[in-house]
Amino acid sequence: MTTVKPILLAEDNPRDAELAMAAMEEHHIADKVVVCRDGAEVLDYLYCRGTFSSRQQGNPAVVFLDLKMPKVDGLEVLKTIKSDVNLKPIPVVMLTSSREECDLSQSYALGANAYVVKPVEFHQFITAVKELGVFWGVINEPPPEGSDQRGRVPASV
Amino acid sequence: MEWFDHWSIERRVLVGFGLVFAGIVVISAISYRNTTILIENSQLDTKSHELVQLLGSVEETLGTAESSHRRYLVTGDESYLTSYRTVVERMPEYLRYLKGLTNEGGQQQDRVAKFEQLITRQLDAEARAITQRKKHGYEGVRHLALSGAGKNEIDDIRRLMTELDTVEQRALQARVAQSAGSTQNTIALLGLGAFLQLVLLASVYVLIHHDVTERRRVAKELRSRGELLQAANKELEAFSYSVSHDLRAPLRHIDGYAALLSKAAGDTLNDKARRYLETISGSAKQMGQLIDDLLVFSRMGRQDMLHTTVSLDQLIKTVLHDLRLDLQGRAISWTMHPLPNVSGDPAMLRQVFVNLISNALKFTATRPEAKIEIGIAKQGPTDVEVFVRDNGVGFDMQYVDKLFGVFQRLHRNDEFEGTGIGLANVRRIIHRHGGRTWAEGALDQGATFYFSLPLARSLS
Repeated sequence: MTTVKPILLAEDNPRDAELAMAAMEEHHIADKVVVCRDGAEVLDYLYCRGTFSSRQQGNPAVVFLDLKMPKVDGLEVLKTIKSDVNLKPIPVVMLTSSREECDLSQSYALGANAYVVKPVEFHQFITAVKELGVFWGVINEPPPEGSDQRGRVPASV
Repeated sequence: MEWFDHWSIERRVLVGFGLVFAGIVVISAISYRNTTILIENSQLDTKSHELVQLLGSVEETLGTAESSHRRYLVTGDESYLTSYRTVVERMPEYLRYLKGLTNEGGQQQDRVAKFEQLITRQLDAEARAITQRKKHGYEGVRHLALSGAGKNEIDDIRRLMTELDTVEQRALQARVAQSAGSTQNTIALLGLGAFLQLVLLASVYVLIHHDVTERRRVAKELRSRGELLQAANKELEAFSYSVSHDLRAPLRHIDGYAALLSKAAGDTLNDKARRYLETISGSAKQMGQLIDDLLVFSRMGRQDMLHTTVSLDQLIKTVLHDLRLDLQGRAISWTMHPLPNVSGDPAMLRQVFVNLISNALKFTATRPEAKIEIGIAKQGPTDVEVFVRDNGVGFDMQYVDKLFGVFQRLHRNDEFEGTGIGLANVRRIIHRHGGRTWAEGALDQGATFYFSLPLARSLS
């Protein structure tokens, strides 16, 4: 691995974000985490625009996506990611408090790679976030940069 | 009209149509009778006209006979005799016709009979005079020649003829009057009938219209109530959604920051402070559990239900397998009676047994040997009553009504843990299956929980 790909955490609640960061810190992957405070910011990051216009090019290793967020909610972000050929290969993990059936089925229908319900208990939460961060950010081999090109359909068709 | 309000629309319509039908039958019968009278009268009229005409012919014939026999008597010219005979020959036929035109046994027939008699006498008299003229010449009939034979008969005949004519004309007039009356009667009746039918049809229409309007109103109300219910359900769903999402977050934060604090302050905290932090965490966890249970309970009420055949024996086996961690290190004597197949939702019924068996395990924890029995209390043709019995701490029967309520607990949390949702869920699930739940018990002498379920319909 030449470049360390960042982990994108979309979390509108600063406390949840802090707790998640605390969990990541325990496994020394906190420096890889970029926190976005709403869906619009996530899209700005992914499309390198706004405050992220000067960031290093390339897709994150994984996006942790909360469902309920201001401006653009999690499902909309998911939909945008999965319908864009360049962003489609990014693994998206829904990280949410909702256990509702409709959220689950909608998320998977839109192409979510995983769905994790945030446990109330801190130790469970910390374990979950840690394991998710380690699995998707370290263990999982992300798609090679430029893999998106293969999915492209010739414009003449 | 109270009895009328109790009638169903079908009955009202049936009675309405029955009345219309009866009205039509009566009116038809009367009209038929009137028409028959009209036809009979017209037949009688024809007869009367013929009779009057015939009387004219008879009169003419008689006149001709009388004048020709008189001319013969005077002149002795045979040609008069020939013309006399020609007209007289017609007479019997006329009389036969005449008789045919009068009613059997009527007064007119009597008159015709008398008329015939007189004519015969007249003709006989004329015949006799002719014979005499032939035998004795003009001198023999001189006294007759000018006046002719049978003068009296002729007068009687004329009188009778006038009488016959007058009576017949009078009868004719009477019949004309009757026919006119009967025609008017029929027209009036038909008009009345049409009016009656119109009224009845109108009332039948009003009845149907009223009923249809009522039905439409009820359907509309049902629809609007359904919409209200749907809106309420949606609101409830939104509520439980926000409960599941928003209420959990602060709890997570309480527990999270308590843990972070305990880690950050770690060594500097004394035992008391550490215990406080643990209590904060414990309370947050407990509330998380409560919210989860409440959500399951609310979902149980909204979820669509399956209706399949469920083998209770099989179900209990899987439940015991799932609870195997709770069974570790416990001395339990199980008594399992065979259970039938029921009709219902497998996942929901599984929840029932998980809750009841967990309860039995929980409340027998203080016993050296737990005794748990599952069997059938009663089996009817369509449903079965199942019980789960334990030898645990039991309960006081005076609190039996509280057992199945939401958040109702009969034990302190430091005695037995729990959120008070389990039995409420059992009741809700059993109610959704169309069954009922109840319990028996005594303090320190165990408890028995009963529920009824519809049996699976076997094909045999």
